[in-house]
Amino acid sequence: MLATIVDTSALWQTIVAAFVAGVGTTLVFSLAILGVARFAEANRQGRSVHSAVFAALALLGLLATAAAIVFGVIVMTTK
Amino acid sequence: MSEAELILGLVVATALVFDFTNGFHDTANVVATSISTRAMAPRIAVGYAAALNFAGAFISLEVAATIAEDVVDPLAITTTVIFAGLIGAITWNLITWYFGLPSSSSHALIGGVVGSTFVAAGADAVFGDGILGKVLIPALIAPVLAFVVGGVAIVICYWVVGRQRPGPVSRGFRFGQVASGGLLALAHGTNDAQKTMGVIALALIASGHLGTGEDPPLWVIVSAASAIALGTYSGGWRIIRTMGTRIIKMDPAQGFSAQGAGAAVILASSHFGFPLSTTQVIAGGVMGAGAGKRFSAVRWGVAGNIVTAWVLTLPAAATIGGVTYLVTDLFPGALGPVLVSAVGLALVAFAFARRIRQPVPGT
Repeated sequence: MLATIVDTSALWQTIVAAFVAGVGTTLVFSLAILGVARFAEANRQGRSVHSAVFAALALLGLLATAAAIVFGVIVMTTK
Repeated sequence: MSEAELILGLVVATALVFDFTNGFHDTANVVATSISTRAMAPRIAVGYAAALNFAGAFISLEVAATIAEDVVDPLAITTTVIFAGLIGAITWNLITWYFGLPSSSSHALIGGVVGSTFVAAGADAVFGDGILGKVLIPALIAPVLAFVVGGVAIVICYWVVGRQRPGPVSRGFRFGQVASGGLLALAHGTNDAQKTMGVIALALIASGHLGTGEDPPLWVIVSAASAIALGTYSGGWRIIRTMGTRIIKMDPAQGFSAQGAGAAVILASSHFGFPLSTTQVIAGGVMGAGAGKRFSAVRWGVAGNIVTAWVLTLPAAATIGGVTYLVTDLFPGALGPVLVSAVGLALVAFAFARRIRQPVPGT
């Protein structure tokens, strides 16, 4: 009955995509913030390997967040 | 000017007023979290949202006339039916704004059109399955989905950055909110300005000024984009306060999680063609981000009032739309819409005069 009224396939795809995108974006941006915070700390303490690792984490996190935003704009423009 | 052209002019003007109230009412969806976490100053936040709402209206020109076509018989739609439906939607938007409650402008519009169609053409012209599939089931799923996404997102967020110094973490999330809020504003402009374009296009088709399936003229697109942007810039501060501070006391991480959850749910639903209310999604995301930190952090009494407004939106707007159609039908020709417009304008001026003196939060 429900399947005749609602497109259940679109509904499930919406739920999965929203969950992955919402939680995923927050996760990668949180990792970017963690990277920035730990990079500053490691840099102050002169731990160059740690600072390089956290700088890379921050950069990757920011790039992934930017990619998610660009993907969002593409979704809007192609609907 | 013929009577039909006068009614068409009133419908276009009423649709633009609805668009203004839509922007005015839904500003909170986009900026409330950014303002309450001090990611942006209030006036800058609404200006930013207004500019992106305007831009968003031009991103996609897929006319959203289906908003009414799926729930009522298109053959029953006349300019007077659309006019009465718009009055129902505007009235409900203003009532909920007066009480500071974030309710769905889309549901108000659908409710208004359903009510006026029901009175004008009878029960057969209203599609029950369409209302269930396009409005009621999404209205149950949207806030719950955003609640879950916002809740899980904030738990993960605290798990990742919970042991860091709060200063840099808060600054980082405030910076992130500028981007997530911008995405929300763009999505809002794309989705909601389309509704007004669709309604005006529907009126132009019903009056024979536009062919079925034709794109709306440029003046329709520009005026709809301008009306929603102006409404957004005017700022519905009462609803901003409810959304930003009365549901939960938000920190920047919660603000980012709520906006991220909202944007993800809106864009996913937009991509897969599943209609959702932006208001319900954002409110669900805010509640989820609060409950994810601590269940008791959410003021469930305020949340209950908001849910009550959601439940009442469809029947209330339908009733007002139906009564408006009955009243306009009492008078010959364009006299009914002219009188209703005059009374409506007087009531709007009265409501604004009583409430507009409210100080802008944070200023």
